[in-house]
Amino acid sequence: MPVFSIAKNEWARLFMSKHGWLAIITFGLVWGIFLFYVIRPAARYISSADVGIIFELLLPRIDTGTLGLWQSKEIGLYWVFALYLLPFFTMVSAADQIASDKTRGTLRFLVLRASRTQIFFGRFIGQYFVQLLVILVTLLSVFALIALNSPDALGNAIDEAPVVVANLALVLLPYVAMMALFSVLAKTAKQATLFAIVGWIVLWFTLGYVQNTFGPFSILDWVLPGSQFVSLLRLPGWETLSLAPIPLLQTVVLLFFGWLAMQRCEL
Amino acid sequence: MNIINTLGLSKNYGNVKALDSFDITLDAGEPIALIGPNGAGKTTLLSLLCGYIRPSAGSAQVLGHNIGSKALSGKLAALPQDAHLDPRFSVQKQLSLFASLQGMRGADAKQEVQRVLDAVQLAGDGVKKPGELSHGMRKRVSLAQALIGKPELILLDEPTAGIDPPNVKIIRDLVRNESKSTTFVISSHNLDELERLCGSVVYLNEGKLVESGPIQATSDDGYLTIRLPSVPEDQFIRECRKLSGVLDVQRQAQGDYLVHQSEGHAVDQALLSMLAKNGWRYRHLIKGRSLEERLYG
Repeated sequence: MPVFSIAKNEWARLFMSKHGWLAIITFGLVWGIFLFYVIRPAARYISSADVGIIFELLLPRIDTGTLGLWQSKEIGLYWVFALYLLPFFTMVSAADQIASDKTRGTLRFLVLRASRTQIFFGRFIGQYFVQLLVILVTLLSVFALIALNSPDALGNAIDEAPVVVANLALVLLPYVAMMALFSVLAKTAKQATLFAIVGWIVLWFTLGYVQNTFGPFSILDWVLPGSQFVSLLRLPGWETLSLAPIPLLQTVVLLFFGWLAMQRCEL
Repeated sequence: MNIINTLGLSKNYGNVKALDSFDITLDAGEPIALIGPNGAGKTTLLSLLCGYIRPSAGSAQVLGHNIGSKALSGKLAALPQDAHLDPRFSVQKQLSLFASLQGMRGADAKQEVQRVLDAVQLAGDGVKKPGELSHGMRKRVSLAQALIGKPELILLDEPTAGIDPPNVKIIRDLVRNESKSTTFVISSHNLDELERLCGSVVYLNEGKLVESGPIQATSDDGYLTIRLPSVPEDQFIRECRKLSGVLDVQRQAQGDYLVHQSEGHAVDQALLSMLAKNGWRYRHLIKGRSLEERLYG
């Protein structure tokens, strides 16, 4: 199946190229610093029930009481930070699904062997699995941290991890889809990331203006990827999945427009 | 068997008509030359046939399928102009992906990659990345990808542009060998090369079809083209005009002379005798006019 060959090749693009390894090492270093200098000390503060001020400074819109929903403080912190950090990583790492191949002409070799639909969805699936791998690796690093600091808490962390994995997997879907769309429209990966950031900000301002001027429209809360994050953090355990339709719907819409752009783009 | 069939095929870029109601039917067989000045619409036509761009109007069928059809996978291949492989991966890795997309697996894919690299005389360079190869070698690699799976039709857009003579020779020999089983459509400005390789020609200008047919047209029967590298021009023309049946002699570029002979006369034997008598050596003698002379003369 061409779609799976293309998806598999996305892994090769990450693990068999210098550029891919550079991205992995850079992210690994950033994550390592974050793990040891943010999550580890913050978990200690939470344990001592003195987290309020620090946390409000870092993420002022988040109700700090939500961390109390988690048995494992490290997992609670991982959930909050991963929720806000991983989408940014996705916007950078998944930005080159189509762009550089289109500009270089490599796509012309591919479209004679696979349909544009197969190429578009193959790349999307491959990149999504890369993001799932990132979720698993970062989570394992948190487990390692817990095992080193307080092995007794590892059981709670393992129990709560599936909720976090499922939610992060859902949360990242529209971001990978958004980058699939912008990488069709852009000429380079950097341009795709720029389009995504500028597009996201413009949409955020526009929605805010519309909501403030013409009254609240709850439907508009569904438009922007990540708009459900604050609500998501207030929900305990598997109740978080009640918000799953938002990223799923966003993904479907973004993939549709990306697919449409792919069909229409001239190579 | 029809390999290409277009009906009113057009492509506009804004107000510019890159291809204008292009109708043609081409059959499988000897390589087909696609010629025309810059901006004539050659690359646009090839891009439309490959499904890289969408027509503004009209339709086209390749090997009996609509352009862009999935059924063409593995049957139609191309060497597009200015298309490059991914510089991050070895040639072998990328060709293996192409082979797997065409349905080959494992050992079969590996064997096919080796076959096409052998065909372009780059068997030992598969492990290299495109950036480690010369321009000519990269072009040969691009040609190798087009040979994967022995497609029925290969479209070559400027396959020898900007590359050195040894690489040109390799590509030309390859096309000649592969054309026994595959039909090539070759777009090029090198008319000498096309004359040597192709059996028919499609001539485009300003997006329109000007002429198509055998490369050796019947209208050329009244001409001989002879290349004389170092012969006194005036003296040759004078001697030539004395021959019975010669209507006119004109000097062309690069030491070529065009001899116009009257109907029913074959002056080639007399011409060769005259050259021998004067001790003049010739490089080649062609029955008819060169493609360049016929189209642009």
